[in-house]
Amino acid sequence: MLAQTTYGRWLPPQLSEHGGKIDQLIDVLHVFMAVLFIAWGIFFVYCLFRFRAKQGHAARYEPVKGLISKYAEIGVGVFEAFLLLGLSMPVWADYKNKPPAESERLPVRVVAEQFQWNFHYAGKDGKFGSTDNSQITASNPIGLRSDDPAGADDIVSVNEFHLPTGTPIYLRLTSKDVIHSFAIPTMRVKQDVIPGMEIPIWFTAKEGSESEKLREQMVQHFPIEGANWYKLRHMIASEDHKSSGGEVLLAKGADLGDSFVKGKELIESLQKAGVAELVMQPRHPLEVICAQLCGNSHFKMKATMVTHDAAGFNAWIEEKSKGVEFEDF
Amino acid sequence: MSSHEAHAGHHHDHGDHHHEELPFWRKYIFSVDHKVIGVQYAVTALVFLFFGFTLMMIMRWQLAYPGQPIPLIGKYLSSAIAMDGILVGDGYNALGAMHGTIMVFLAIVPLAVGGFGNYVLPLQVGAPDMAFPKLNMMSYWVFFCGGVVMIASFFVPGGAAASGWTSYAPLSVIATTGQTMWLLGMVLLITSSLLGSVNFIVTAVQLRAKGLGFFRLPFFVWAQLVTSFLLLLAFPPLEAAGVLQLMDRLAGTSFFMPSGLVVSGVQQTQYAGGGSPLLWQHLFWFLAHPEVYVLILPALGIVAEVIANNTRKPLWGYKSLVYSAIFLGFMSFIVWAHHMFMTGMGTTLSTFFQATTMIISVPSVIILTCLIISLWGASIRYTVPMLFAVAFLPMFAIGGLTGLPLGLTASDIALHDTYYVIGHFHYVVAPGTIFAMFAGIYYWFPKVTGRKMNDLLGKLHFWGSFVFINAVFMPMFFQGMAGLLRRQYDQTEQLHGSLAHGLTTMSSWGAWLLALAQIPFIINFFWSIRGGTKVDANPWQATTLEWAAPSPPPHGNFDKVPVVYCGPYEYSVPGKKTDYCPQHVAMEA
Repeated sequence: MLAQTTYGRWLPPQLSEHGGKIDQLIDVLHVFMAVLFIAWGIFFVYCLFRFRAKQGHAARYEPVKGLISKYAEIGVGVFEAFLLLGLSMPVWADYKNKPPAESERLPVRVVAEQFQWNFHYAGKDGKFGSTDNSQITASNPIGLRSDDPAGADDIVSVNEFHLPTGTPIYLRLTSKDVIHSFAIPTMRVKQDVIPGMEIPIWFTAKEGSESEKLREQMVQHFPIEGANWYKLRHMIASEDHKSSGGEVLLAKGADLGDSFVKGKELIESLQKAGVAELVMQPRHPLEVICAQLCGNSHFKMKATMVTHDAAGFNAWIEEKSKGVEFEDF
Repeated sequence: MSSHEAHAGHHHDHGDHHHEELPFWRKYIFSVDHKVIGVQYAVTALVFLFFGFTLMMIMRWQLAYPGQPIPLIGKYLSSAIAMDGILVGDGYNALGAMHGTIMVFLAIVPLAVGGFGNYVLPLQVGAPDMAFPKLNMMSYWVFFCGGVVMIASFFVPGGAAASGWTSYAPLSVIATTGQTMWLLGMVLLITSSLLGSVNFIVTAVQLRAKGLGFFRLPFFVWAQLVTSFLLLLAFPPLEAAGVLQLMDRLAGTSFFMPSGLVVSGVQQTQYAGGGSPLLWQHLFWFLAHPEVYVLILPALGIVAEVIANNTRKPLWGYKSLVYSAIFLGFMSFIVWAHHMFMTGMGTTLSTFFQATTMIISVPSVIILTCLIISLWGASIRYTVPMLFAVAFLPMFAIGGLTGLPLGLTASDIALHDTYYVIGHFHYVVAPGTIFAMFAGIYYWFPKVTGRKMNDLLGKLHFWGSFVFINAVFMPMFFQGMAGLLRRQYDQTEQLHGSLAHGLTTMSSWGAWLLALAQIPFIINFFWSIRGGTKVDANPWQATTLEWAAPSPPPHGNFDKVPVVYCGPYEYSVPGKKTDYCPQHVAMEA
């Protein structure tokens, strides 16, 4: 109900197989909260008017019999028990207690650090190479051991998370330095990443939520009035935006520039040329972000998430692990 | 009877109030009088409240207009905070961490407990002073030193603490010197709270006037009593944790540092390792959840007093209020891990903590229900304190209701660490607790000064605050739903954040206008000390004992030791000439 197909004011698009139930709980909760608040608010406002001090009106010493309030309190209690036992606990248990079978899942190690996400894939042999902190360098951020043959075809992808849709992804999260939090808003996934611990999580991106398709689904129209670079900095034009003379001011695939000032100038020139709205779509529709304060550039810690269909993902693995020498990391 | 004797003995201890004049510095600076200490606490806390608010207003500029120079004050900020007038990442984090720390530990708690508690509690129980006046003085000065250390931390190399008010390890352990200052400051503040809480408990239990049984205590006293137990029992673990983190930073221990850390490519061999970052979180939240009730209970106490007085009728369900407050206090010790659902908690533990979290909402609902039903059949006087008290109710309700999706683990997955959380707890503490604090200031100002604050300025203050504070916090729920994360120096750096950015600007303007709405209050506050309308000892025609003392009360408080004859809220008793029966006046048949 609250989830959108584009990003906006309510919940972000919901693209994972388990996320629907989380959204359902959020929907039910907010209906419950609204009903409670409105009913309560009506009584409250009525009292404020009805019982204001005026001539000839005195306060009543005897307490009112509070039967309705008693029932209301019990009702709230019962409904909370339902939320807890009927909705929240089963969803959480489902999410936490049923890891996908080893034969079906794609394992990926995630090593967080200030301020990047390192994704470690086993490569074609399906075996992860072992790691050693003393071997960490700028080009080998997870310290993959050069003497372990299992690691020879491993893939370490920095700030780019590739995955197939429709396949359970099994992530093992760890951190090199401080606490981070692995969050994908569109997948309803959030998990703190704690140094000294390895925490598994899993999710499945729905089939049909491939990045290429999403980019087309997320086309949005923004009135030029009130448009600004801050809001649209990650968007690219879905079509050519032309002046009445036919001059292309913002070409398809282009963005509003790399700064607020450039964006402002461009938007002003588009407005002057009579363009009424901007038709744009995200450059990268999916992101992995860090949800736990991890230092001065915490806000920049994000990875692009690229969802493929099965064939596309296999091609990516093939390309990345073929002929890649360890030294190339 | 025993409490009465305690009085007498106590009087004897620190001398009678007809004593020769004390020198200025003993009377107003190093005073042992609970009223002077209360005012010291309140004024210091109000200064910190304003300072904490200012930090946030600077942050809100960066949020609304990322990367643009801060107008007016930007060029005066130190290089640890801003470069060329533009806030830097570390500076933003420092302001954020210090905003939280200052608002919680240096503004709200000292105002609610140190200020109102100190001033009002002994008066309401009919005592001449706190049980341990010197301890009370020490509590204030230790608090003051804690505040100085916190402020001084802005000037050490690297600036103030920047690891959030929660100071999660290992980030806080590898942080700059500001974090050491933060920890030292916290140790002082906690010590101060412990000294204060012992005093409050003993005073409320031992120094009650003759006839003032526990179920004749004003609800405010109950709220302070429960609060004091929370401070007494919940703070020591954080004090210990603070010392442990100091050790990790200064003595090379590894309480919170796991093995094998590599920071910016450098192996952290100086730490032996084997520690647990989660241990810090457990110790921190073991305090910090009860702390939430330390923030809200005194506020509920004030609101209850103001509502009873201005509805001119007894509070509805007084005993339910008291039992709920006690139950709330007890439960608040076993919900802390609901702040940690995303740390990788399994089903067993999370089941326990989300169940206790749902259970703790029940007494809160009961308290709110009692206060609201108290309006039924009332004759409501819309005085300035009443406006704030009445507005508190729906604000606190919003704060409470929005706690539900965060307290259930499944919905928390989407909302944890987003602006939804910021909106939720600010509704509890800002338009909630701070409104109650304002209600308290307008309500007890005549007791402290013998003069009333101006009504028109008070109403201006109220309506401005009410409108703009909602403009600040309401958008946060929508942004949080959209996934916008908290603690982001630049919210537009992420796709979903940039598309939800429009409301940020609204929120920021709300904050700046909210600051303007405080101007009538500041003028009113200072002007009324000398220029307000003079009033008698009981201008609100209230029933509780503080109004039996002269305004302002002299050293020793009461002209004659009060004796209590009835419950705290005997308003509109049928067959009486006036619509209120003070507790110290015998109700003749």
